[in-house]
Amino acid sequence: MHIKYESQLREPLVYGNKDYHQVTEDIVRPIEAKPTRLWYIGFFIAVTLLMFGVYSVYREVTYGIGQWNLNKTIGWGWDITNFVWWVGIGHAGTLISAVLLLFRQGWRTGVNRAAEAMTIFAVMCAGQFPIFHMGRVWMAFFVMPYPNSRGPLWVNFNSPLLWDVFAISTYFTVSLLFWYSGLLPDFATVRDRAFTKLRKKLYGIAAFGWTGSTKHWQRHESLSLVLAGLSTPLVLSVHTIVSFDFATSVIPGWHTTIFPPYFVAGAIFSGFAMVQSLLVIVRKVFGLEDYITIGHIDLMNKVIVLTGSIVGIAYLTELFMGWYSQNKYEGYTFWYSRAYLFSPYGWSYWGMMACNVISPQIFWSRKMRRNVFVTFFMSIIVNIGMWFERFVIIVTSLYRDYLPSSWSVYYSPTIWEIGFYMGTFGLFFTCFFLFAKYFPVIAVAEIKYVLKRSGESYKPGMTKLEAETAEEFAHNHAH
Amino acid sequence: MEQKKHWQSFGELNQSEAFNKEVKDEFTSELPMVEDHSGFLSAKAPRRDFLKYVGFSTAAAAVAASCEMPIKKAIPFANKPEDIVPGIADYYATTYVQDGDVVSVIAKVRDGRPIKLEGNDLSPITAGGTSARVQASVLDLYDTARLRFPLIAGKEATFEAIDTAIAGELNGNIVIVTSTVNSPSTKAVVAEFLAKHPGSKHVTYDAVSFSGMLLANEASYGKRVIPSYHFDKAKAIVSLSADFLGTWLSPVEFARQYAVGKKINEKAPAMSKHIHFETVASLTGSNADEKYLCRPSEIGAIALGLLNAVKGAEVTGVDAATKKGIKAAAKALTENKGAAVVVAGSNDVNVQIIVNAINDAIGANGTTINFGAIVNYRQGIDSEFATLVDEMNAGKVNAVLFYGANPVYTWPAAEAFKSALAKVKTTISFSGKLDETATVCKYVIPDHHFLESWGDAEPVSGHISFIQPTISPLFKTRAFQDSLLKWSGNTTEYINYVKNFWSTQLGSENAWNKALQAGVINPETPSIAGASINGAAVAAATSAVAASKPSTKIELALYQKVGIGAGQGAANPWLQELPDPVTRATWDNYIIVSPAMARTLLNIDLNNGGQADAYEVQPPKKVVKLTAGKVTIELPVLIIPGTHPNTVGIAVGYGRIDSLGKSVIGTGKNAFPLANFNGQTVSFDNSNVTLTLTDQTYPVALTQTHFRYDTTQGNRTEVMKELSLASFIAHPTEIREERANEYRGQMAGGDKMTNEEVLANFEKDATIYPVYDRPGIKWGMNVDLNACNGCGACVVACNAENNVAVVGKPEVLRGHEMHWLRIDKYFSGDMDNPNVVFQPLMCQHCDNAPCENVCPVAATNHSSEGLNQMTYNRCIGTRYCANNCPFKVRRFNWADYTGADSFPNNQEGEVNDVVMNMNDDLTRMVLNPDVTVRSRGVIEKCSFCVQRLQSAKLEAKKASRPMIDSDIKVACQQSCPTNAISFGNANDKHSAITMVRAENPNRNFTVLEQLHVLPNVTYLAKVRNNGEKHEA
Repeated sequence: MHIKYESQLREPLVYGNKDYHQVTEDIVRPIEAKPTRLWYIGFFIAVTLLMFGVYSVYREVTYGIGQWNLNKTIGWGWDITNFVWWVGIGHAGTLISAVLLLFRQGWRTGVNRAAEAMTIFAVMCAGQFPIFHMGRVWMAFFVMPYPNSRGPLWVNFNSPLLWDVFAISTYFTVSLLFWYSGLLPDFATVRDRAFTKLRKKLYGIAAFGWTGSTKHWQRHESLSLVLAGLSTPLVLSVHTIVSFDFATSVIPGWHTTIFPPYFVAGAIFSGFAMVQSLLVIVRKVFGLEDYITIGHIDLMNKVIVLTGSIVGIAYLTELFMGWYSQNKYEGYTFWYSRAYLFSPYGWSYWGMMACNVISPQIFWSRKMRRNVFVTFFMSIIVNIGMWFERFVIIVTSLYRDYLPSSWSVYYSPTIWEIGFYMGTFGLFFTCFFLFAKYFPVIAVAEIKYVLKRSGESYKPGMTKLEAETAEEFAHNHAH
Repeated sequence: MEQKKHWQSFGELNQSEAFNKEVKDEFTSELPMVEDHSGFLSAKAPRRDFLKYVGFSTAAAAVAASCEMPIKKAIPFANKPEDIVPGIADYYATTYVQDGDVVSVIAKVRDGRPIKLEGNDLSPITAGGTSARVQASVLDLYDTARLRFPLIAGKEATFEAIDTAIAGELNGNIVIVTSTVNSPSTKAVVAEFLAKHPGSKHVTYDAVSFSGMLLANEASYGKRVIPSYHFDKAKAIVSLSADFLGTWLSPVEFARQYAVGKKINEKAPAMSKHIHFETVASLTGSNADEKYLCRPSEIGAIALGLLNAVKGAEVTGVDAATKKGIKAAAKALTENKGAAVVVAGSNDVNVQIIVNAINDAIGANGTTINFGAIVNYRQGIDSEFATLVDEMNAGKVNAVLFYGANPVYTWPAAEAFKSALAKVKTTISFSGKLDETATVCKYVIPDHHFLESWGDAEPVSGHISFIQPTISPLFKTRAFQDSLLKWSGNTTEYINYVKNFWSTQLGSENAWNKALQAGVINPETPSIAGASINGAAVAAATSAVAASKPSTKIELALYQKVGIGAGQGAANPWLQELPDPVTRATWDNYIIVSPAMARTLLNIDLNNGGQADAYEVQPPKKVVKLTAGKVTIELPVLIIPGTHPNTVGIAVGYGRIDSLGKSVIGTGKNAFPLANFNGQTVSFDNSNVTLTLTDQTYPVALTQTHFRYDTTQGNRTEVMKELSLASFIAHPTEIREERANEYRGQMAGGDKMTNEEVLANFEKDATIYPVYDRPGIKWGMNVDLNACNGCGACVVACNAENNVAVVGKPEVLRGHEMHWLRIDKYFSGDMDNPNVVFQPLMCQHCDNAPCENVCPVAATNHSSEGLNQMTYNRCIGTRYCANNCPFKVRRFNWADYTGADSFPNNQEGEVNDVVMNMNDDLTRMVLNPDVTVRSRGVIEKCSFCVQRLQSAKLEAKKASRPMIDSDIKVACQQSCPTNAISFGNANDKHSAITMVRAENPNRNFTVLEQLHVLPNVTYLAKVRNNGEKHEA
């Protein structure tokens, strides 16, 4: 009887003949080297987009929301579509770090850092929209419940928009803490390797005086678990509350009890897709294929096909209920405004269906799951599809609601509406480029933690051990 | 108490010199600054200075950049004028007059400036009703394009200079061209002037004249007059495309009368029956019980057929559908002899003679048509004007004076007229603005606006309505009458002239003062008289009409819009932005075609979902070139069901000269050249036009794009309830049952309830939330859809009362219009000839309002009186409330439309010129100081005129009495000519609102009731007297 049974399905999480030093070298090297020309080009594009976004927002704040093509019937359009889209993207990070940590999924270590960073940047981008979609953004502080000299006048705790304020800010705070606490040991590593005084100082400050003592590690582990415990319900609650913006309203197409699970599944779906898009590039550019392996990509593609199918079921359920309820208003929204291809926005519904439900089914094939190009292409498709989903929910519900007299003319965005969206891409990638340059994109400490258990090079070392019977093992190793 | 002296040293005690020196130089040594010779500190601006400068300049830059706020000053009176109490409104009775139209009004004057007009209840003619144009006329007073001084050859001049110059030129053969003048004193002034200048004459010229009718009456009855009509006494009304609710003769008066026959007493349901022969969809046709489509050229044949039919003869010469209509009309008329009336919009003398014959045959004369009270709204005879043009060409005219008339714009052969005018030496216009005629006149002496004028009007013989100024003239303007008096050598000023005129007539100055205060004098006993018809004239007309064949080509019918009229409303932004009741379009004219013609001409089939969608959601409409003889016009096309398949319509009144103001620039094209003078009268129909589709499109700003409430997923009967009188009588509780069945499923145990139980318990049982008592006042409104004819007076009244911003065409195109009250229009039935219903929709003030609970900052909330209130300065503009409003009545300030923003310079280039013009200091004088001007980024909506409610409550409180219904009239209710809107305290058992709901249980409904939002606005279902069984 052999003491260890090795799963035939489970692949190594780290490839190559690595030791601890090599891991550090591999991951920290890009931080210490000069940025490549590619980095500069990318960063420049990102900052340009950001500047365009800033100008678009400037126009909107100065001249009014009329800079956008929203109207009396369609009060929300690209603004809230983009908000929900970014928030959705911001889901994968916490799911990967918190939920997978709790479930002891070792494979998370390769991707969690970048995924968490992406979460934080995505939530930052998302936050811009509810703030700047306000007609009077300079009065935005009215949404804060604090004792004031205006009565005191309190916020309306019944409003889902207020719940959003709490949900998003809590999520952002917890995600940021989680991410940062994970960064501490790695910052310390970078600090210890620093070759200039400035680096040493800055990374020293960032590392919060981490020494790697057992006490530090013990507290770090506890903190990680506590934050993981806090974040896990947030993964579910944030998008649930975002979905309440719609579900608690009276508008046909919004007023749907299915929204919370459907939104959460959609968020994980889009979040994983975004993680895929970024990691496929990062692993290539930084040569981290040994750490972010095909196995990781495979696993995440499985999540994508699962959540994509959940979302698909939700779509079909909505259609079914649109008919089964015999509610003519819902029936119209679901069957005409959305599902009828030749209705004015029919293209967006079928775009969503094609991107979110039909195309991810390709991932039933293992070959496709493990193909980097297919993965990258699909991750883009899924994010486009999820953008369509939010657009479909918001615009096709609003533009033809109860009173036919109020049905809207065709809504298409202005350049400034698009500019705002582009600007958030600029913000996202500016942050991401800086992150990739200055932060370890893979959790060094955590890789080391799984290295000896799941590293490829440690497999041969185990062969002898594996050949031993339990009795021999007990005999040889019982000291 | 004695002051104790404390000291620390003898030096201090003695104030020694050494001590004082030490105190003075306490810090004798230098501050311990490190001497640095690197040059920085020894530079001219050492570190501290540098920091100071940085700090100061940063602060200064920040202050300079951020504190640039537009400064608006409010300066109190140094000396308080008599009669003006700041904040307290004064009301003066006066009269709206424009080109013969007369409506008695009360002007509300705040701080010396008129800001709102209300109908004068003392006038039996309009009975407190107004129209959109009346409501908007107050804005014309503050029009920035008004002439501010007289002109000689386009240059500023003084009155003295003009008087001197003209004195030498007025030497006989003078012609005064006016639109209809129905002012007795003005007529006297004109007569005096004509007497002083021999060979002179007065020609009345109306842009859209009633010559045909006047001449027909002369032929039929020997009197060139128009009798008064009494639609209220008619049980059967047949209209041969006369738009008497919209633009024909006296629509405010007729709307009120018409509504009398349309309002239903549920206990004994009865209605008048209105059969309409329609060429191009019109407001009146939309309200008809039965509507038959016909060509303009068929009207004569139809009139003839109807005459034959009422006499029992056979109907010939018309197609089967029309024949059916004629028979139905004849049946209705003959069944209601003595309580029936026929009117025709045609300007053809023969058609009108035949209509007279029909009216004679059905006993209308002396009952529904009253020759005892002659109306003076239109007196112009087209042929007299045509003769004048010939005389001008022949050089027989020395001088022409234009007052009200604007023939350079409205005469079909305008170019010929212009060249004739060029042959006249002296041309004088009294237009208040530089209109088309004034532009080519040598002298322009701007007249006052009616709110600055003295005067009188006699709309109906014996009924006098007085005009008194409500503000002193804003500019260097002079009354037309004053000029004439001066030029007649009469030194009396017109103000004294009117006063003397009426003091003499009424017997005393006291009586004059009293009459002026009331605004109107009415005859004590209204006289009713018939007239006997001249059979020979009828016979001649019959043979003339029988000889003319209806056209087989595509025909054109020119029409007037409710707001714009013959162009009088074109320069008024409120009227331009008022959605036309028929098309829901703003800011343009266009070609109206039927759905049938759209299929062949435009390749758009409204029955095809995709094509209909594409047509509806895209504002650019296809442009068609219309050719009539030598005249062509290119306009966008709107498809309006209810139009004859081979007839197209174009509104006149557009395409005006730019000098009239920002509102007319780029709005529509002039259609008057498409009319033609046939030697006797001007005809606004053309029986042979050709249409060519161009490859261009042109955006038309529609405020409503979809007009049907049925979908393939079900008929949205919760939105609108309409049924026929026959089915209402047969089954009065049909609507109650329909409502009960709609809600039953939403209520616990609903399936076991009777219909009445469902309705009674709906509020309580269809929710999981507790139901609250609502004691005290509970404001409620009711709109009777049977009385409402969709005229739009309420929309403009709401604009004026509540400072609703004008946004201009580009913004309406983007769905950014701000109207708090809109009139939705729905079609039902056959799309080629549909039933039409209008539904005024304002904030429904839901007791369970979906907008209230979604606002994150509680900017919209519920008052204890049932008002859904909007707190503008709390609003942060998330627009969630607007999204969640099922009625979509909430309006967002997309841009700085009002200049009320704290951001400077953010309008230029972003808002339309028209909007900028509405922000002019002059235009802003029209604003109601009781209502906040909303700034950019906030939501606004109907407030139930809360400022009026508060003031009514306050008045009642000051008088120590409970508030009663008559204390309050909200703006829309007050403006309504048909009293379709009731408003009041629904908790008061005796209030009108409670009564109207209690008396009409079978027609009462609220829109989207199944949502359980519990609106405080109720509607009474539309009942149509068309005898059809309702199929729901």
